[in-house]
Amino acid sequence: MADPEKSQEDERKSPAFGVVATLLGVFAFIVAVGVFFSSQYYTSPSGTVVAQSLGTTEVNGQSMPHVALNFQTYPNSTGSRNAQGTGPGSVPVHSSGSDSWPAYGMSNVFQVPAHSLVTVTVHQYDSGGPLNNPWFSKVHGTQDGTATVTTPDGTSSTVSSWDQNNIGHTFTVRGVPGYDPNFFLSVPLPTNADLPNNEGSASNQDNGQSYTVTFSFISGGKGTYAWNCEAPCGQMVAAFGGVMSAYGFMSGFIHVV
Amino acid sequence: MSFEQQFDAIENEITEEGDAPPFFSRPGGKIFIIWLVFTAIGVVIGVFAPHHLLPGLQSGTGSDVWATIVFFTVLAAPVAAFVYALAFYSLLAWRPKKSGSSDEPPPDGPPQRGNGPLTILWVGISTLLVIVLLVWGMTVWSSQQVAHDGALQVNVTGQQWLWTYEYPGTGVTSRTLELPQDRPVEFNVTALDVIHGFWLDTMGIQTDANPNENTVIRTTPTTLGGFVVRCSQLCGLNHAFMNNKGSVVTPTQFGNWLVSQGATTSAAAKSADVPESSLTPSSTSTTTAAPMNTGASQ
Amino acid sequence: MSIATAPLLLEDTPLGPKAGGLYRRQNALVGLIAGVVLAAIGWVISHALLQGSNWGSDMVVTVTLTCWVIGFNIGIGTFNAPFRWVVGKDSTREDELYGAGVGQGAARYWKYCTDHKVVGTQYFVLVMVLFAIGGTLAMMIRTQLITAHSSFLSPGTYNNIVTIHGMIMIIATIIMVSGPFANFILPIMIGAKDMAFPRLNAMSLWVVVSAVPPLLATFVLGGVDTGWTTYAPLSVQAPPAMDAFAICIITFAGVSVTVAGINTIVTVSTMRAKGMTMSRVPIFAWGSVVSAALGLYAMPAFLTAMSMMITDRATGTSFFVNQLGGAGWLWENVFWTMGHPEVYVILLPGTAALMEIASTFSRKPVFAYKAAVAAFVGIGSLAIMVWAHHMFTTGWAPNLATPFMLTTELISIPTGVIFLVLIGTIWKGSIWARLPMYFLYLFLWNFIIGGVTGIYLSDVPADQFFHGNMFTTAHFHYTLLGGAMIAATGAVCYWFPKMTGRMLNERIGKTAFWFIAIAFQVTYFGQFWEGFQGMPRRIAFYDPIFLRANQMSTIGAYFLMLGWMILLAAIIVSWRNGKIAPANPWHAKSLEWKVQTPVPLENFLVDPVVTSDPYTYGEGVPDGQNQPSAAPEPELVPAGASESTSGGGAS
Ligand SMILES: [Cu+2]
Ligand SMILES: [Cu+2]
Ligand SMILES: [Cu+2]
Repeated sequence: MADPEKSQEDERKSPAFGVVATLLGVFAFIVAVGVFFSSQYYTSPSGTVVAQSLGTTEVNGQSMPHVALNFQTYPNSTGSRNAQGTGPGSVPVHSSGSDSWPAYGMSNVFQVPAHSLVTVTVHQYDSGGPLNNPWFSKVHGTQDGTATVTTPDGTSSTVSSWDQNNIGHTFTVRGVPGYDPNFFLSVPLPTNADLPNNEGSASNQDNGQSYTVTFSFISGGKGTYAWNCEAPCGQMVAAFGGVMSAYGFMSGFIHVV
Repeated sequence: MSFEQQFDAIENEITEEGDAPPFFSRPGGKIFIIWLVFTAIGVVIGVFAPHHLLPGLQSGTGSDVWATIVFFTVLAAPVAAFVYALAFYSLLAWRPKKSGSSDEPPPDGPPQRGNGPLTILWVGISTLLVIVLLVWGMTVWSSQQVAHDGALQVNVTGQQWLWTYEYPGTGVTSRTLELPQDRPVEFNVTALDVIHGFWLDTMGIQTDANPNENTVIRTTPTTLGGFVVRCSQLCGLNHAFMNNKGSVVTPTQFGNWLVSQGATTSAAAKSADVPESSLTPSSTSTTTAAPMNTGASQ
Repeated sequence: MSIATAPLLLEDTPLGPKAGGLYRRQNALVGLIAGVVLAAIGWVISHALLQGSNWGSDMVVTVTLTCWVIGFNIGIGTFNAPFRWVVGKDSTREDELYGAGVGQGAARYWKYCTDHKVVGTQYFVLVMVLFAIGGTLAMMIRTQLITAHSSFLSPGTYNNIVTIHGMIMIIATIIMVSGPFANFILPIMIGAKDMAFPRLNAMSLWVVVSAVPPLLATFVLGGVDTGWTTYAPLSVQAPPAMDAFAICIITFAGVSVTVAGINTIVTVSTMRAKGMTMSRVPIFAWGSVVSAALGLYAMPAFLTAMSMMITDRATGTSFFVNQLGGAGWLWENVFWTMGHPEVYVILLPGTAALMEIASTFSRKPVFAYKAAVAAFVGIGSLAIMVWAHHMFTTGWAPNLATPFMLTTELISIPTGVIFLVLIGTIWKGSIWARLPMYFLYLFLWNFIIGGVTGIYLSDVPADQFFHGNMFTTAHFHYTLLGGAMIAATGAVCYWFPKMTGRMLNERIGKTAFWFIAIAFQVTYFGQFWEGFQGMPRRIAFYDPIFLRANQMSTIGAYFLMLGWMILLAAIIVSWRNGKIAPANPWHAKSLEWKVQTPVPLENFLVDPVVTSDPYTYGEGVPDGQNQPSAAPEPELVPAGASESTSGGGAS
């Protein structure tokens, strides 16, 4: 119980200081939390992979820039949940040049110019299996609706679909609400039961065999697009948990600038 | 008139039932006027606002949504207006001046402990309203449940994070949804992984896509034009991206679209329910993933 | 008061140096350390045994966090008394006085304290902390949505924030009235010396405290990207954070709410003052009891569901996985068996508190008291029969749409009676426009809008448009935030003087009120607009056609948060150096205002006798709820016994 003198003193004290201190304190807390979560915004640990210019080209009578984008998918990345099953899609820091595994770092953020012809080359090292939906075994949205697949033994073929039971991953890009929502691209990245198991140590992967998939598409308008894999390569229900449900493995962004 | 005088007036009114003042100068009368005004505002908002807020509705089931909102708002307006009118009036008339800063309470109010007939009336009116609501809901709902012969079948498959639409008999599976005008459609909705929400907002129908379950919903698109299908059930990482365009087109356009997607002319004509001769397939290669057909733009 | 007339208070009892036993060494810090240590042990063992096996990380997370909860509760003292009972060394009177906080000063607020007033105050602070976290997460959501494609949050982070915002707000709103007020105020109101089970009371509080860290741990365990409804099979697919989420729910809903509910019901049933018949019980007690009973029905379903969820994830059972013969619909049914009653668990005590406020600040009896009780019981009974209205569009049992439409719409009849009671109480009263009354009016405004928008959702054809849509989000924020939480805020303003001994600074409080009242409308009308336009819930990126509506909502939300921050500031500055409160600042008639402030241990120096209900305003009869002034011993003249001495007790 407060004594009368103290209470008199209390009443004289202006609450302004306490109010301002509370407001600033809570505001600082909110900002700190915002900074914390915002710092988790998916930016690639190895930086953005910028497509390399190949000059200009003509598509359907229109002149446009031509760029190349190269990346790999490899299994068993660190950070995948339970470290079981197959792993993340990833690209090398240096998107061309040295092919040695140790030089690779994960990056799932790409950058391509707007309204350009983008030629993508993917080295697919991972094992795989059947798709949840055979629709993704077809090539959608590339030039001519095809992709060129080179198998580990070196034979090349131009295809518009692949055996739905032998898909490692897919590279599926969509326009996001607000930017070019009609944009859609999906290419299956094949694998084969005969593909040597590349999962394991880096040295295994050094000698790993890959399917190489090449295709071209015309990029949309400026903005950020989302890409992800649509093959069931994760864990839990429908194999879409784990790495499939976290940015940085089987999903990322494409900045179109 | 000071509050005390007003208050005395109210007190007198309660105690001297005999010579009550005219209706509109009594609190009840004033509240009645405020109630009328508030009700009118509510009804006007209820009748005119939904039309401007809703997307362009494209089917009878879509119009049901609009009609339900209007009808329910008009029904609810008098009830809401009554509470608001009374609350509003109480602040004007029954709040002593400076009562907000006084440490002493105003004099006690009249000791009314309840009013049986009023309570019964209140419950009676709300029961009546509930019955009206229920009858409306049942009528509309059962009318939506009717199956039509010869409805176009569309198999809708949700998966993380894309919808695909299969048109049985044509071999066409698309990620856009094309629907012919004025033809009943039955959607057979399922999912491959987790639960998704198949929602055609402009047609006022929605159902979840459940793995290993098939759910049928029906509508008849009546208005040409584009729409967007948005997944309405949080389905994981890329849920926000799980949407696609669709459009309502004429049966002939629909048949041509099926052909452009790889259907044979005869299958397309059969599915679109138009004579084969009316289809004029373009030369588009079936393997070309042409830019998405967005139909009539929205 | 002067020392000479001070009565001998129980809390001044001198205790021996060993009173309390182990309790002497236990406090929140010890609980924290014990929890962390046991969790570390659990992690090491489970990790060694299980990691690498299928679902290993789910097992490890489950074991570790279960160990945390048990360890914290060992450390804080939850198990002391049961253990001593089992081994036959039951607590002595001295131990119990120590447990009630005697001789510990402010330190007792950090301990397992059985005094219901301490528990109520602890709950009050906990609720404010939870609201601060939940509100901060809401700011994250609204900031993300200020543009159509923001790069503020990643989609995964966004989904997790949506989930945890939802759950933390549900936890906070469930305990926001039943925690602070049903613990602090309710026993005094009915003339009891404490809750029926004081130790369970302390347990209910500390169990919630131990449930919060697992919920926040979801942020470092991969996130729960499902929304708080955690629909299966998505929740079975989710990262290990889902196990942490489930541990939180099992602890909170399965233990805390259940224990608190039993306590409230038994207290009101058996510990009322002499003469307090059923019809003389303050209406707040009725609201609290019906809410607690409904919680006892609802929460075990949540416990069961979440336990099955953990086994689905960690051991591969498949109750909810369609692909393996389970049923996602089973989850939805069990979840909403909890989820709908839970809405009324939240609402009822708040509306009951508003009835007290309406009576006190209109200086009139509660209008149609018996109808109000009937409405509570009616809502409580109907609430368990409406759950499937959340499932109209799921495809489950289409034939049941009509019956569930019926039960859902029927609930608007007793809800309407609550409005009748509130406006009937105001009718021709003399409105004393102090801060609690402001929140009553805001409640009336908001809850009408929440109710009217609810009838669209109860109608299957319209629900097919609004389900899973921002309209629904706006609707339930109108009922739970605009309705229940505004009611709870009114209750805070009403009982603040009794709980803290200080008057709430109403100048700051009214500033906060206007921010809250107006910004709330802007925020959620923005969301109604989004919903009408067709924007789905829980999306991190959206079509730019929704941009204007989202910006309206976000700007509203910023000012709404500012309003709550100002209110928090009013609470903090008033609690620290506000005006000293008299025992009965509102000149109200229920018993909690008849005891002195601060309320002594065991509340009543003389057992109160009740001869009428506490609503005898304007009836010209003597106040029927009092401590009799004829005390058996002269030195026991109660300080707060009558109007004339009540002010003296505090100044
Ligand atoms: Cu993949
Ligand atoms: Cu979805
Ligand atoms: Cu409900």
